[in-house]
This record gives sequence, C-alpha cells and structure tokens, in this order.
Amino acid sequence: MRILRYLVPFLSVVLFGAATSAGTLDTIKKKGWLTCGVSQGLPGFSVPDAKGNWTGIDVDFCRAVAAVALGSPDKVKFRPLSTKEAFTALQFGEIHILSRNVTWTQTRDSALGVNFAGILYYDGQGFMVRRDLGVRSARELDGAAVCVNSGSTTELNLSDYFRSHGMKYTPVVFEKSDEVLAAYRAGRCDVFSTDQSGLYAQRLKLPKGNVHMILPEVISKEPLGPAVRQGDDQWFNIVRWTLFALIGAEELGVTKSNVTVLEKKTRNPAVRRFVGTEGKAGANLGLDPKWAVRAITAVGNYGELFERHLGNKSRLKISRDLNRLWNKGGLHYAPPIR
Amino acid sequence: MSDPVIKVEQVHKWFGTHQALDGVDLSVNTGERIVVCGPSGSGKSTLVRCMNGLETVESGRITVNQIDLAGGTTAVEQVRKSVGMVFQQFNLFPHLTVEENLCLAPVRGLGLSEIEAKERAEKYLKRVHIPEQATKFPLQLSGGQQQRVAIARALCMEPKIMLFDEPTSALDPEMIKEVLDVIAELAADGMTMVCVTHEMGLARAMADRIVFLDEGQIVEEASPLEFFDSPKSDRTKQFLSRIL
Amino acid sequence: MVIVVVLVSWVIGNTFDNLSTRGIASGFSFLQSTAGFGISTSLIEFSEASSIGRAFWVGLLNTLLVSAISVALATILGFAFGVARFSGNWLLARLAAVYVETLRNIPLLLQIFFWYFAVLRSLPSPRQSFDLMGLFFLNNRGFYVPALEIFDGGGWLLSVLIALLITAFWQRQQKLISRSCSGMAVLLLVLVFANAGISVPVLRSFNFIGGAVLSPELVALVIALSTYTAAFIAEIVRAGIQSVPRGQIEAANALSLSNKDRMRFVVIPQALRVIVPLLTNQYLNLTKNSSLAAAIAFPDLVSVFAGTVLNITGQAIEIIGITMAVYLTISLAIAMAMNAFNRTTAMRGLSP
Repeated sequence: MRILRYLVPFLSVVLFGAATSAGTLDTIKKKGWLTCGVSQGLPGFSVPDAKGNWTGIDVDFCRAVAAVALGSPDKVKFRPLSTKEAFTALQFGEIHILSRNVTWTQTRDSALGVNFAGILYYDGQGFMVRRDLGVRSARELDGAAVCVNSGSTTELNLSDYFRSHGMKYTPVVFEKSDEVLAAYRAGRCDVFSTDQSGLYAQRLKLPKGNVHMILPEVISKEPLGPAVRQGDDQWFNIVRWTLFALIGAEELGVTKSNVTVLEKKTRNPAVRRFVGTEGKAGANLGLDPKWAVRAITAVGNYGELFERHLGNKSRLKISRDLNRLWNKGGLHYAPPIR
Repeated sequence: MSDPVIKVEQVHKWFGTHQALDGVDLSVNTGERIVVCGPSGSGKSTLVRCMNGLETVESGRITVNQIDLAGGTTAVEQVRKSVGMVFQQFNLFPHLTVEENLCLAPVRGLGLSEIEAKERAEKYLKRVHIPEQATKFPLQLSGGQQQRVAIARALCMEPKIMLFDEPTSALDPEMIKEVLDVIAELAADGMTMVCVTHEMGLARAMADRIVFLDEGQIVEEASPLEFFDSPKSDRTKQFLSRIL
Repeated sequence: MVIVVVLVSWVIGNTFDNLSTRGIASGFSFLQSTAGFGISTSLIEFSEASSIGRAFWVGLLNTLLVSAISVALATILGFAFGVARFSGNWLLARLAAVYVETLRNIPLLLQIFFWYFAVLRSLPSPRQSFDLMGLFFLNNRGFYVPALEIFDGGGWLLSVLIALLITAFWQRQQKLISRSCSGMAVLLLVLVFANAGISVPVLRSFNFIGGAVLSPELVALVIALSTYTAAFIAEIVRAGIQSVPRGQIEAANALSLSNKDRMRFVVIPQALRVIVPLLTNQYLNLTKNSSLAAAIAFPDLVSVFAGTVLNITGQAIEIIGITMAVYLTISLAIAMAMNAFNRTTAMRGLSP
C-alpha cells in the first residue's frame, strides 16, 4: 500500500518532464488553493480539533502563506504526512509547502531537491523517562531501550549521542508517533526520544503526565521550518518572506489587533513599508502591497502565534528560550523590509 | 448348518422421503454366492452398502459374523476387516501406485510389515492376472485392469466375505469379461460373495441363489434355475423379459 | 522487444535527467556509506558503524525469518483448523468455524497491534522478570535465553546438522537421524570444551545483557501473521477436502482405515491438488503482509530499508525500486518452489 502511494508521483517523474516545477504561484491561483503538508498530529504544531479543523503553529504558517498568496487564510488544504512520505510528496509536487516539524539539515537541503525557507521553531532532541527509573541525566542511559519514530533525524541523533558517549542502547523504531507513545506507555522501552517540543506534546497524552520527566540534555540542533520544492525562486521568496513578516511584525510591534489601525495611521517608516503604504515590497515578490497585512490579520505575529499554540496560552506551556526575538535573547531575526 | 454369516432382519432405510429398503430379510451362509438384481432404484446397491456399514439403517438389524453393525465405530471397523468391497467406479486411490493401493490398509489396519504387505500384494495381483502393473498408477491402467486391482486390494485384507456393487457397469464392453472371469474364479474358490449385477450370465454361472429386489422389497429369492426358467412373481417376469 | 528496450531506456534516462534537474541525488553509492543507526533485531552482526548495504541484508533476513516461521506455523494451524471443521466433535468443528470467521474478518494491522500490546501488557518489566533457573528470563523486552558463542563456521556446521536432522525426520530415515544427533552432540561438546563459551543473560541497570533474545515484536508479528493466514488456509484446506470424491472416502472406509489414516493417506494427499496452488497465494500474501512489521517496530526490510534508510538518504526511486525488486524475487521464488512441489507431490499419479 505504502509503495503504491509513491507510484503515481513516481510514474509522473519517470514519464514526464521537469517543467512542471515552475510557476507555483500561477498554479495555485488557478486552482484557488494551495496544499500544505503537515504532521499527522502533534499538539501545538498541527492537530485536527474536535471539528476536524487543523490547528497549530505549522498550520497557521500555511494559513499565513495562503493569505499572502491567495488573499485568504482559508484557501489551503492540509495533507497529513509521515516524515518518510513528507519529502517525497514535496519532491513530486503533491504539496506546495511542507510545514511539518521537519529538521533543516544539509542533506535534506542539498540532496532532496527541496529548499528550506527559514526557521519557524528552534527545537532540539531530548529524552523522556519515568521518574521512578531514578535517572536524572541522559548520561545514565547506558543499556536502555529507546522508543523512537522511524524516518526522522531522531534515529540518527540518538545513535550519534550514544556512540559518542560510549553507551549502548536498543532502538525500538515505530512508524507512527502514536505507537511510539503506546509502546513507551506499555513499558517496551525505558526512554522516549524525540524533539523536546514533541516530548512536551506527547506527555499531554499520557495519563498522570507528571510521572514522566523530560531530561535536561538537548542532544541535537533541530531547526524546524517550512520547505518548498527547489526550482521556483518566486514561490520560495513568498514563503520565506511570509515567515520574515511574522517575525518582523513582532519586532515592529504589529499585532493582529492593531494592524488595521497601524495600516492607516502609523508614521514609523519601517511599519509603513511593512503595511505597504511605502516601498515596493509586495511588487518585488509579485504580490500586491497589502501582502504582509493579510498575514498578520490572518494569524497574528510570531509572538502571538507562539503563545497561542505553544506558550503560556496553550496546554503545552513550553518556555520560549531560543525562540525569543534576537533582541530579547533568542535567535529569531528577520532581515529588514526595504 | 452353521449360523448365517450375514443376517439382515426387517431392515428399513430412507433417503429423505424416499424409502430405499422396505422390510428386507436376508441370510447369507458361509461359502454361499448370492446375486442381487432388480431394476435401477430398487435398493439393491443400498442393501449391499448396508452390509459393511457404508449406509446406516433406520430400523432393523444387520449382523455380520455375529457382530451387530449398530454397535458403534469399533463394531463397524471389525466387520469391515472381514468384508471386502468392490465398487462400480473402482475407487482406487489415484495418488498411490497399484502396489501402494494394495499395501495401505494391510499395513495401517492389520499391522503387517511393509515386506509382508508387499508379498501379499504380489500374491493377489497374480491372482487377478496383472502382477506386472504393480508400479503403475491407477490412471495409467485400463478400466478392466483398474477393477481387477480394486478386487486385489479388497482381497489383500483377506476377507471372509466379498461384496460387489455392480462391478462391471462402468466398464467398456470389451473389458467386462476379464473382470467377470476373476470374479468367477473367486467364486470357484469358495469365497462367500454378495454381488449386485446386471450380468445375468454371471448370475446363472456362479450364483447359488438369486435375490430379486423391487421398490425396496425382496420380491423373489430362488436358485438360478428356478429364477430364470420359472419365475413366480409378475414383477420378476417383467424384469426378465426386459433384460433377456 | 526492441520497442520495449528503447522505451525502458528512455524512461530510465528521463528519470535521471529529471532527478538531476531537481537537484536530487541518484545512484547506488549510498549502499556503501555508514548506516549510523542501530537495529534492535539482527541475524547477522550489525552496529551503527556498519554500512547501509549491511542494513539492507539485516532487513531482508528479518523479513525472510518472520515469513518463514509464519508460513510454517500458518500451514500447521491452517491444516489443523481446516481438518477440525470435519471433526465429528460438534464443539471442535464449531470452534474451528468461529476461529476462521473471526480471524479473517478483522484487519490484519489491528490484529498485529492487538497481539503486540497484548504481549507487552501481559509481561512484567525487566526488574520483575519471570526467572527460570537463573538462565531464562521473560519480560516485556523479550525472552532471554543463554546463547552459545560459536566460533566462525561453527554456526554453519550447526545449521547444516539441524537441516540434516529435519530432512531425516521428514524422510523417516532412522540412520540419518541417529547420525546427525550424534554429530550434533559431538559438535556441542567440542564447542563447550573449546574456546566457545556460553553467554548467560545478566540483569544490568535497565535490562538483560548477553544471551539471545526473542523480541516481543517478532513474537507478536509471527502470532498475528500466522493466525491470520491460518484462517484463510483453513478455508482452503476445507475446500480441498471437500473436493475429494465421496467414493475415495467410501473405499477407505470399506478397507477399515481409521479416520486418522483415511485423512492422512487418502484425503489430504488428494486434497493437495486443490490446496497447493491456493496455498501459494496465501504464502505470497503472508510475505507481503510481513511488511506491516514497520508498524510495531520489527526491523524488517520495509522498516529498515524503505523506512530508516530512505529517510536518511532520501533516494526514494532507488530504494523503493530495490525493495519492489526484492519482494518480486521472494514472491517468484515462493511461486516456483510451490509449483515444483505441486508437480512432484500433489499431482502424483494424475498425469500418465
């Protein structure tokens, strides 16, 4: 079945030319919507709610892009994908954006025919264990059985970490994160390892969540961000600048509630360029001047997004740490619009 | 005179709503050769098939060698060891060679060793005049040869009684004689036999007694001479006039 | 023929053109690079430092292992349930019918999850293991047994002897049985007294180390695959038995064969004519279904190669291509073996 799923795009790449990769903006305008690949269910990033609407920071990013490119945050269809399928789907044009908690790595960027548009969330791989195991540090995990998700850098980081510390472990590799969690719950493994954001999210699903603790070590750099197919620079720019617009808006103090007011009243030249009353930012991207305003109206600025889905206004309560703005001790930094 | 070796008393047998046997009484003595005849559907096949428990009866009693066939699996198996049967369609095991067909039951049922069973098989294949076919498969033989193998297979159990259920009906005409000859030879050797057949020549030559069945009832029981020359019942006369 | 060759080469050329246009790496050199990931169950030596090519073999051997065990168990179970449906014992016949109807009407993936979590939930954690004589341990990480650490080549010798023993039993050759038994005894003695040691599982901080382990994933997968396929095989066996003409059964009865002998020597051998071709399908299905292993962390070919390796290298076309070719080869091999069996055994006596 899984193989079949690859067959259609496989055949298309085998039989037809590569010309289909250009002009994503025109394609989606003609269609009236864009397709966004998301994870199959990770609280805070992309999960369907009770009514079947997708929510989360990855989801809202795609809404922002839809608002920018197509004029409405609703003109987007979501495709839940496993990590394994994700890049193949993007390579073969099944989806227009991959906004799924995937890590930006050199191999993925250079050998998979995709381009990462930036970093939406600075993550890192961590470990969760039962408190009663008596383990306080990842260095004490020699000989442990570790449950992980297949088809992710998680598997590789894990191996690197244990090898570099001269420790042994048994990997127990599942296809879907639900089974990883279920097996961890059933005691098949001592450790559950994935990106820390994922650990916080999965812990919510466990009964008596505080029986489990997340170890302090972060063993990898996991910059998560949206990716597009290589070969369409205009589309790449639109996605990348949508991300910068969200981050820049936070820095400029533009929020969902004040953006329409600022649009008309502000005298700050940086904000005026942002809302399109000055400069040609929109035209440079092949869009109209109000592109950034639509993004903020649709989902709010980066800070609002974070708090709503991951931070204190969410159930996850992840602290912002690295995900603060550059001028507040974090890493998020958007180049200026001018 | 000793007790009859087969005793059928007041046997009734139904197939659904059709009554196949309707109060049949019959005794077969040791060494006696009985031919059962009658129009098709008269119940003659059913009668012989009841004698080794291939069919069960609804009422009445059948005893073979003083063993009541209603006495459960062990009784039936005991009876079958002393009663050989030859079918119209031969029913040889197609996946086994002639020799294996002959050896299977003696080895599994009588506890003979492979060697003893093979010796016995050879003996009876000679008796039916086809010792050279031992290593062939049944489907490589002619119909007449197959039926003779089937007779040899039954004989390998060294039964006291042989039942024949229309042994020549499925054969091409030119093969009937070779099978009839074998059966006649057996009869001449003194084997107790019950034979369902349409071969009136056989009946005349070997039968001690002919039993005529119609609609599940024994209509007439007589020596061949009486049966063919002065039948008593109208139904017998009718039957004979049609087949002779 | 020429057209096919031209078409295929055009497709291949076009594919690689397209891939390089899109900046996607291609070729098979990735098989030599270092794997960098571990595999929980492996029949051959494997570590993070091994090559990706070796990971492929680990996955392939695991697929073959699970398929072979499951095919054997499914066949035995299937025949048992198929024959049981003709049992004179009403309860047994009904149970067999219920088994077939239940098992074949529930999706296999659900059954795999059921067995996996049923196995996991019913077993204790490593620190509360069931302990047998301090040598055998059972917990939710697997069944740990002492293992012979065999010198190079010893393993092969042992497997040859075991294979001999199995064939000897199959052929009922008393001499061969006793010879391979004594051969095995001698070999074991040599192994024990030579440098080969016995490794006994020992509990460390998290789990047992040493010995050999039967993982819960393997057990759950084998149970699920074999019980599921057995339901289908039982139906095939039933159809096969029903296809044997009544006269054959009457002939066997008239010869006073017992029920068991009648089944074994007369009915089943003839039923095989119908059963074997259909059985081939079931074996093929089972092998293909074994790829569901990935769902419960059993490292089969799909999980390791079309899963982890695909994720690392991203070379979907090569990897999916190889994987498809492997399954095709396995399927063809099974079909050929079954055809040969059919010709020599099941069709015995039927072609003049």
